[in-house]
Order: sequence, then C-alpha cells, then structure tokens
Amino acid sequence: MKNMNFQVNLQGVIDLLSNHLYSEPGVFIRELLQNSVDAVTARKRLGHTFDETVKVEIFSSHTISFSDNGCGLTEEEIEQFLARIGGSAKRENQDSADDFIGQFGVGLLSCFVVSEEIVLITRSAYDGAEPLEWRGKPDGTYSIKKLKRQVPVGTTVYVKAKPEFEEYCEYYRVSELLEKYGQYLPTPVMLIEDKYERKINESKPPWLMDKPEAMAYVEGIAYHKPLDIIPLTSIIGGVHGIAHVLPYAVSLQDEKKHRVYLKNMLLSDRMTNILPPWAFFVNGIINTSSLRPTASREAFQENDLFFAVRDELGECIKRYLMELAGRDAELFRRLVLIHYASIKTMAVEDDELYALFIRHLRFETSYGELTMAEILRDHRLIYVTTTLDEYRQVARVARAQELLVVNGGYVHDLDLVRKVTEIDEDVTVDILNTLEFANQFEELDLEDKLTVQPFIDQGDALLDGFQCRCLVRWFEPADIPVLYNTNQDVNFFKLAEESEQQANKLFADVVHVIRSDLYDMPYAKLCFNYNNPMVRKAMETNDPQLRKASIELFYTQALLLGNHPMGAAELRMMNDSLLQFMNRGLDGAEVAR
Amino acid sequence: MKSRYDELRRSSWSLPDGKQKLAVLEEMIRIADRYMTEEDAYNTRIRYFAAAAEAGSQERMITAFAWCLAKYDQSPGAYSQHEIMWYYKWVIGMIWRFPVFTLEQIEAVFEDFKRRCMEYGYSLRPYYHKRSVYLLSRGLTQEAAACYKHWRGASRDPLADCQACEQNAIGHYLFSANQLKRGMQAVKPILDGKLSCRSIPQATYSEVMVPLLKLKQHEEAVAVGRKAFRTIKGPQYLEEQGVFLEFFTVTDLPRAVKIYNETIRYGLESKPSWERFNYLLSVQLFLKEWHRKKRRKRLAEDGRVTLGWLEQEITSLANAFNQRNGSDYMLTYIADKEKHMHRMIEAFQLRAE
Repeated sequence: MKNMNFQVNLQGVIDLLSNHLYSEPGVFIRELLQNSVDAVTARKRLGHTFDETVKVEIFSSHTISFSDNGCGLTEEEIEQFLARIGGSAKRENQDSADDFIGQFGVGLLSCFVVSEEIVLITRSAYDGAEPLEWRGKPDGTYSIKKLKRQVPVGTTVYVKAKPEFEEYCEYYRVSELLEKYGQYLPTPVMLIEDKYERKINESKPPWLMDKPEAMAYVEGIAYHKPLDIIPLTSIIGGVHGIAHVLPYAVSLQDEKKHRVYLKNMLLSDRMTNILPPWAFFVNGIINTSSLRPTASREAFQENDLFFAVRDELGECIKRYLMELAGRDAELFRRLVLIHYASIKTMAVEDDELYALFIRHLRFETSYGELTMAEILRDHRLIYVTTTLDEYRQVARVARAQELLVVNGGYVHDLDLVRKVTEIDEDVTVDILNTLEFANQFEELDLEDKLTVQPFIDQGDALLDGFQCRCLVRWFEPADIPVLYNTNQDVNFFKLAEESEQQANKLFADVVHVIRSDLYDMPYAKLCFNYNNPMVRKAMETNDPQLRKASIELFYTQALLLGNHPMGAAELRMMNDSLLQFMNRGLDGAEVAR
Repeated sequence: MKSRYDELRRSSWSLPDGKQKLAVLEEMIRIADRYMTEEDAYNTRIRYFAAAAEAGSQERMITAFAWCLAKYDQSPGAYSQHEIMWYYKWVIGMIWRFPVFTLEQIEAVFEDFKRRCMEYGYSLRPYYHKRSVYLLSRGLTQEAAACYKHWRGASRDPLADCQACEQNAIGHYLFSANQLKRGMQAVKPILDGKLSCRSIPQATYSEVMVPLLKLKQHEEAVAVGRKAFRTIKGPQYLEEQGVFLEFFTVTDLPRAVKIYNETIRYGLESKPSWERFNYLLSVQLFLKEWHRKKRRKRLAEDGRVTLGWLEQEITSLANAFNQRNGSDYMLTYIADKEKHMHRMIEAFQLRAE
C-alpha cells in the first residue's frame, strides 16, 4: 500500500481564493495593511523599541508600495508562510487570545486580483538577517534572491496594477481605501506621493468618544443628527462601540448595515447580524478584539461566542431604553413614536421590554385609537379580533354596545394584546368570535319573536345556499339595518367546495374528508336590527314577494359594505331585488300621477 | 376587484406566517376564482401552499392542491409539471399525518404519485423517502428499511429535496431505526453549519435531542437546546417545539413556560394530526411537572388546557391512529416518549442535585 497526497492545481486555487473569496477588489489594501500592522505587533513582541509606522507610497506607472518597520521575514519564514497557502505565521493556536488581526494565510493572495506580480523586499528583525527579495506570480511560481544592497528591518510589498484595475493604485482611490479600513489603527499610517505626505489615521475612534463627540461624528458621516447615542460593551467579546438611534423610521425589511471593526481595522461596513434582529432602530459602530472573522474577513464565524456577544449587546440597548424611560420622558416618547414597528417587534420577543413599552403603544379600538395605558385605565374586559376584516365587521356596533374591541389584524398586535394579562392580572382578554358576537345583543320579547319568526324562516330558506343563517336582535346604533358576520373559515370552505368539484375522484374524496371530518360547516350570520326602521318595515309587510326582495337586498348590501366578494348568484340576487323595488316604486308613481 | 386583490397581495407580503396570512390569501383566491384568469387563481394557490404549510395548516394546503392538480390534468401544457410534482411530494409527506384518512386513501395517493413520477420520468427517490417516513410512523420498521434502501439507491433529480433536507431525513430515518451513531454522523454536516436551507437546521435540532440523550452526550444536548431556543419560531414547528418544551421542562422551567405560552395557541388551533398528537404529548409531560408544586404564575389558556383535557385529547388521537393503522403501535410510541422523559430527568435533575 502506498500513501499518496492529493495533487492541487495551484493556479486554480489561487484564482479561487483571489477572485472569489472577496466581495470587491479593494480588499487587497486591507490585507496589506493588516499584514503590516501584524508585523509591527510581532516585532514589538520581540522586545524591540522603534517608531512603528506603515508607509504607503504611490509611484507613477500604477505601482504602489506598502512598507512597515515590523519584524520582517527570514528565508525560512518566506518558504513557510508566503509560499504555502493556508500557512499563516499567526496561527499557532487558533483559539488563544492574540494581538494579530489575521490568521488564515491567504491574505496576500488578494493582491492577485489587481496585480500580475507581487514583489516583496524584507529584512528580518533577527540579528544578522540578510535582505531578501521574493517575487510571486498568480500561476503559482515564485523566486527568492538575496539582495546586495542594505535595507532597513521590515517589509515592503510592491503591487503593480493590471489593466482595468489601475484606479486601485491611484492616489484618490488608495487614500479612500486606507481611510476606510485603517483610519482608527493605532500604528501611524502615512500616505506618500512624490514629496507630499499625509497621515491617514488621526481621528479618535467613535467607540472611545463621549456622547457629544459621538453625536457630532455620526452627524458628520450620516448627514443626520441621531436621536441619541447608546454605548455598547461586551466583556466576553472584548467589544466597545456605540449604537446611534436613527431619527427616522426604518422598514422591517431593510438590511441592517452595522459598521464593525476587528482590532481597530474595518471588517465590514454592512454587517447585518452583530446586533439582535429586533434592534433595527439603531446602527452600530463596533470594535471587537475577540470575535473570529471568516476567511473572507467580511463577517464573523457564527459560533456560540458570537451569539453570546450579540445577546450582551442587545442587553446594552435594553438597559438604555429602561433607563431612558425614567430619565428623559420626552425623548422616550419621541423614540416610541418614530420606531413604532421596531418597538412592537421587540416587545413581542422580550418580556422585560414588553413591560416597559406596552403602556405606550397605540392600538386601533372600537373607541378610536388608544394607548394601552388608556385602555387599561377604562376597561377590564378587552376583546381582540384576529383579523382586520373581523374588526371591520364589528367595530361600529361594538362601540354602541360599549364593548372595547381591539383590532388584532396588524402585525404583532394580537400577540401584544393577549400578553397584557402578564402586566395586569385583573384584566381579561378574549378573542372575539365574530360569529357569536351577535348573541350578545338584546333578544326580542316573546311576542315580537313570534311575529318576526316567519320572516327569519324565509331568510334562512333563501340564504341557505350561501351558508348564511338569519337572526333578529335589538341593538345600537339604529342606523345599521343588518350585521353580516363571517369568520375566515367561510372563505376556506368555499375554496374547499370548489376543490371538491374540480378535483379527480381520488382527491375529491380527500377534500371531502377534510371538509366534513376536520372542519365544522361554518355558517355566516346575518343579524337584523329590530331597532332599525327599514328592518321593521320589511318585517311588517305581509307580502312574501316584498319580504323576499327586502331580505335579498339587505343581504347583498351587507356583502358590499363588508367588502366580501360577491358570486354571480349573489349579484343576480341584488339586481333582481332592486329591480322589484324599482318596478313597484316607478309603477306606483305612474299610478299616483 | 383587481385593486382589492392587489391590496391584499401587498399586505400579505408583510404578514408573518400564520392564520392571518392564510385568511388574506384565501380571500385572494376567492377573488381570483371569480374575477381573474384561471392562471391567476392557480398561481395564487401555489403561493397559498407554502403559507398554509408554514401556518401549520397542512390540510388547507392539500385542499388547494387538489384544485391545482385537477387544472394541471385538464391542461398540462399551461402549468409547470415540475411545480405540481414538487408540491405533490409535499402532499404525500403530509397526508398520513391525519388519522381521518384511511389506509386505502393514503395508499392510493402514494400510488398516484408514483405512477406520475414514472410517467413524467422522475426518479422515485422522493416517493421512497416519504414512504419510509410514513411507514415508520406506523411502527413498520422492516418495511421502512426496505423503502430506505430503495430511497438511497434511487438517483437524485430536480424533484429530490435539497441536500440539507435529505441529510436531515436520512438522520431521521437512522434515529428511528435506532442507529444512533450513524444518524449523528449523517446530520453532522448540518450541525456543523455546512448544510442549511429554509427549514434546516431548525428541523434537525429536534431530531438529535433523543439520540444525544441516549448516547449520554448531555453537554451537546444542552448546546443544541440553546440554539434551538434561539431559532425555532412559528406555527410550522409545532412538533419540534414540543421536543424542546420537554427538554426545558427538565433543564430550565422558565424557558419551558415561555415556549408553552408562545405555542399553545398554535396547538389548540391545529387539526387532529400527527403534529398535534406529539405536541400535546409534550404539553402533557410539561404540565405534569408544572403541577408538582403550587405556583402563583398562571399559564396561558389554563382554563382549557388541563391535564384531564389533555388525557382525553391524546387518548382519542392515539385511538384514531391505532384504529386507522389497525395496530396498537401508538401505545408503544407513548411509552417510548415517557421513557425518554425519565431518561432526561435522570440525566439532568439528578446531576443538578
């Protein structure tokens, strides 16, 4: 038996890593910057004292160089780290806390996205080390030679832009990228072109700023003044940061864009998940020392630590909100007003926040728009509907009955209202069953009941085909002649009926079983208001034709008003009944004339 | 009416999974049936399938599917064959979960699906896959094993579940066949985060809980529980929520209460099905532990969900399944579940003491 090694197509691997791992060509600046900073860190570890600096120089013919006075590399180290993909000098123990930013050993390859060749000149910080020149090409070949001339300790990398990538070696672009990635690095980064020299990193990082500074900073980068600044810290994640509260409402569907730094170097300016998903009313600017980036270095590995840190940051935002409610009621009110949707989502997910916010949230009720505090002040029994349509069916009548009905049809409202018993034990919350709603109204006395019974029987017979039953009650307001209630199963039932008619034998049977064994036939209810003069009039007539036409007209009007889709038979019914009245009325007019 | 349809459609996009979304889609279907083209009605129903499955109303999906299948058969050129077969695959994965369907009905549906697969030139892989799950639910391990063999032998084609779902299903089969270590191996890529989709890894977490405890990998079980608590949300995971309701009943009662309060509404709304049965069984185990002590805190729906009511519901569901299956396998199934609970109590409560 012979043990063999896999053969790797080097060019393919380099192409894969350099062209497909990263989201944009500019990241090579980040990778080079990072190597430089790591080299400086390594040299400091050796106990050397020196003026640490990273110099980026722009040359004509679209070439740039990155020089640092870090630890440099020996020939052995070059063999080991530069020429072996995945062999990083910084990876002895992946899980130990460290000062390095990198760890994968693929960073330098990102230069091949913009350049056909990487030239690296280095002298190791170890005594007596010789200066070396390493040249690598994307086809996987490289050469090393010893240099005759003397060079200082450190490393310089030269990159010459390929056609089409020239802009990445021009002053304005390099300057922009250096600032983006490196403006908060502790090591001074100098950008040089000809005689002009500029220090890239001079500003104080936002996570070390006090609140007025941070407010001004955010205003400067985002062109809006944040509502407030929330300090963020996570001890286990070594995180310091700020979250600025957005002064405008954001859609729940928007991707979050948090800016995240790893050891002061920008990792990503559009990270979506470093803060909990409910926190979409803030944008974060965060620096961490211990979360692990993925190989592309544009996101974090989502391990347990990551989620623990995220929870801890969420706690910071929660604590802030709780404290704000006591400290600055006006700001708290504004925050609730602007970030209404976000706050509802938070309150559903988290019990503490629920208790904090619920009284301030507004709901659509039969008494108009009310905050939960107002609802709880005046009512002990709360009804809530599960859909907007159900709410619309009953809202007006409920008000006249002095019933408080909350519209639970909007996102989260149902859950929010149901949970209210957790903060107020004496209140009762019930889901309103619209079909039984009419049963609460006042019944007629026996005499009246007997009088209207033929009318009701006729109605039942007429509307049976539409799965609708009739009843009579006395209720306010008087100007509503009939109340038509369905629940959502009615629509499903019509759908099931359609399916059973259309389906093949096999599935017709299946649907039949669902319809008859899993569901009870839901009847819609048409409740006539004995308090309404039109209804009285219709019930008093002895002419069965007229009664029929009135019932049909009441029924179809109720459908129209309730936004219920009308079938062909119902449409015909409406026209026929209207025509009857017109005939009577117009013919009568003729007679009178 | 078209504008009403558009308005409903707009609102359906922002609604979370659940009954409200279904109500909106049902109204859209009714409008499309009456006032729009057959194609509109068909496509609205296709959207309704996923919404119904995600709302935990599988019977509604089957109902709407029946209509679409009929339309497809009437004019096969007008609609996508792959699409209708894709959802047909869902149907054969769901239909046995309702004890109201007779074995003959279920067999006939499986047979029809198989016939169509062969006629349209699809691999029988999904057929054998779904069938093995169905057979396992009846406790027919040998027949399921034969199916499993066919399943693994059949080729993957566009009708097959995605890689993550299949890997999860393989794990499910192996766990049910008591091949725990092989099962864990099968789902390892999922737990490592290398395979995922819309419903994976959420569905996998509940699969591995029993095996992990049987293998005495308690730490891993705790870690999975933590992840599951974070990710599993919504009515479509009723059975899965039950698994973690049990787990937290033993390891972290306040969390169990949170899960119970969030899910019991879905449980009560669900129709008599395999999911409802499993979920209520978990609720029963939870409530038994809960009532061991006098407590001030009130649970959601405590008027309806009592131990007596649960006993009655569970017995009637178990009987319905047994009667349908012509066996008494459900009794073994319940006993197994109780054994698992004891195993958990032993592993965690004793350790804590």
